[in-house]
Formats: sequence, C-alpha cells, structure tokens
Amino acid sequence: MENILDFLIKVGELKRIKRRGWVLRDVKDPETIAAHTFRMTIMSWILCCKKKLNLNKVLKMSLIHDLCEVCAGDTTPYDTILPKDKKQWKQILNKWPRLQKRQKEKFFLNKYKKEQAGLKKLIVSLPLNIKKEIHNLWDDYEKGLTAEGKFVRQLDRVENLLQALEYWKKEAKFAIGPWWVQIEELIDDPILLEFIHTLEQEFHPKFKK
Amino acid sequence: MEEKKFYLTKEGLERIKKEYKALKELKFAKTKGESPKVLNSEDLNPEYLAFQEDVNFLESRIIELENIIKNAELIKIPRKEKQNVIDLGATIWVEVDGQTDEFTLVGSLEANPSIGKISNESPVGRALLGHKVGENVVVSSPIQTTYRIKKIKYHIS
Repeated sequence: MENILDFLIKVGELKRIKRRGWVLRDVKDPETIAAHTFRMTIMSWILCCKKKLNLNKVLKMSLIHDLCEVCAGDTTPYDTILPKDKKQWKQILNKWPRLQKRQKEKFFLNKYKKEQAGLKKLIVSLPLNIKKEIHNLWDDYEKGLTAEGKFVRQLDRVENLLQALEYWKKEAKFAIGPWWVQIEELIDDPILLEFIHTLEQEFHPKFKK
Repeated sequence: MEEKKFYLTKEGLERIKKEYKALKELKFAKTKGESPKVLNSEDLNPEYLAFQEDVNFLESRIIELENIIKNAELIKIPRKEKQNVIDLGATIWVEVDGQTDEFTLVGSLEANPSIGKISNESPVGRALLGHKVGENVVVSSPIQTTYRIKKIKYHIS
C-alpha cells in the first residue's frame, strides 16, 4: 500500500499546480490542473452519453490525461516562442501561435517525450495492471489513436475554451481571440461543435453565424 | 443505416492495416501463448487483471480497425488542372493575422492539429475546401479570422 499512497500524494500536487496558460496571462487566482481535470471529466461523462463510445474508457482517460504534469510540468504552445523580455509577452499571447509543419512536429514530439517520461516516473511503483492501463490510456489520448482518444483530446480544448470565456467575462481585458481562432481548427466532433455553438450563444449573444 | 466513410491517405490506410495485423498477432500470442491458467477462475490476481486489461484494449482496437478498413475511402491526388483547388490531401500555406501557417487537410481519422493535420470536418477545414491560391477565406466565429491562401500542394504518397 505504501506505493499507492506515495502515488496519491504525488497526484495531489495537481490540486496545487496552477495551469500555465493562465499564469502567463496573469489571471488572478487561476485554476489548478486538478480543477481543469474535474470539470473535464464531468463534461466527458455528460457529452459522451450522446455518442457511441466506451464511457468507462473516456472517464478514465479524462481523469489521467494530465497526470504526467506532476513530473513534467504544464507546457503551452507559447513556451518556445516567448522572449525573455516579459514586456513583449502580451502581444504574442494575444495571437494564436502559427508555426511551420516541421516546427509543429518538433514541438509535439518534444512535449510527448517529456510527458511520457514524466508519466512513467509517476506510475513506476504502481501495480502492473494499473500502470499499463494508465500508460495505454494516456498514449491513446496524446496520439488520438481511437475514437475515445480523439474525443477526449478535443474535449480537453473545449473545457479550456469554457474556462477562458469565464475569465474573459470576469475581466474584459483578457484576450479571448486566440481561443476562438484555435477551436475552429482543432474541433471536428459534431457533439462538441454543437456545444461550442451553445458557448457562442451564451457568451457572445450578439454574434450571428 | 449508412456506415461512415473514413477518408484516408494511402500512407494512413497502410499504417492502419499494419497496426491491425500487428494487433491480431499480438492477441493471438496473448490468448494462445501467454494466457494465465486462471482464465476461467474467479481468482483475480494482479497478473491476470493486467493480462485481461491488455486483451480488452486489444479487442476494442481490433474491432475499431476492422470497421475503418471496411469503410476506408482512399484520398487521391486530383487531376493536374484541379490541383489549384483545395481538396482532401492538400497541404496549404496560409497567412493569418500577419503570420504564416501550414497545414495538410486530411480526413477526421488522420487529423492531428498538433502536427499540422487539420480535419476536413473542422470549421476551418470545411471553409477552406474548394478555394484557390490568392483567395481569402473568412471563418466566422465570435472572432472573425481571415485565411489568405498563399500556396497549395499535393503530395500524397
């Protein structure tokens, strides 16, 4: 049982680690990784019911999708392009970063390797069956290997959009633009697109498509 | 009910077939070779659970892959005179908000925006389809984004 306790103590760190995307933008009292995981898992459950997917797998995948960040930390697409001079950050953060395909592939691969190493370190002492299951679920999520992996990966972005909209509603100076720009490229799931339409109506009532 | 078509590049379909073959072999090895003797007992020891979990993963993935292979539709390079128009398989260079971006338009199954593969079923993918170099494509969300098409290239293997 000591190994399980050790794992759970480490996982508890996610209740403390603040999401980097909000920290970079100086969001006051930003959510933690665990808070994001909590609402994302609830979202997965409810929205998954509208689809023919393995709910058990979807829920577990949502729960574990950011576990690697205990050891690997939170990474954002801005990390490689932000200069040392913080004064320039605002301008960069107000746009969705655009990269050449090769740069995107390099960023993805580096992030994947770093996070995989982090996850392996975290789960090393867990019983073999759980360890294998967590790793398989995470790999599926990261690469979008199966229908469940693709759904949860997109859902992660939609929960992030909802949170961004809530910050934007609270503080008008929060630049919401990059979230809307990226979401139109990242999401193709019909149920999630329908949910995004509801977000448009709720947060931008004057907007007509 | 009409089954969903899966648009795949030749490379993508080959990868799926390769994975299918490898998983079938793995499943065979696991169920015939390494299967613990406790398969029919209620003794749920950790070793058995690990084995079972793996087989469950394998089985669901094999079924998924079978369905994909059955309903796969190959993405073909359009005729030369139509290669100036965006279609599935096109790699597109666009200018957005003063920055240059590059993506390949693929079917939902191969989409991975993190590495520049955009789904033809995403709002941006749908909007770009059928457009030519020099055209501006406006994607309407609460924030309007204009994609100016700079270059289109087809290089499906």
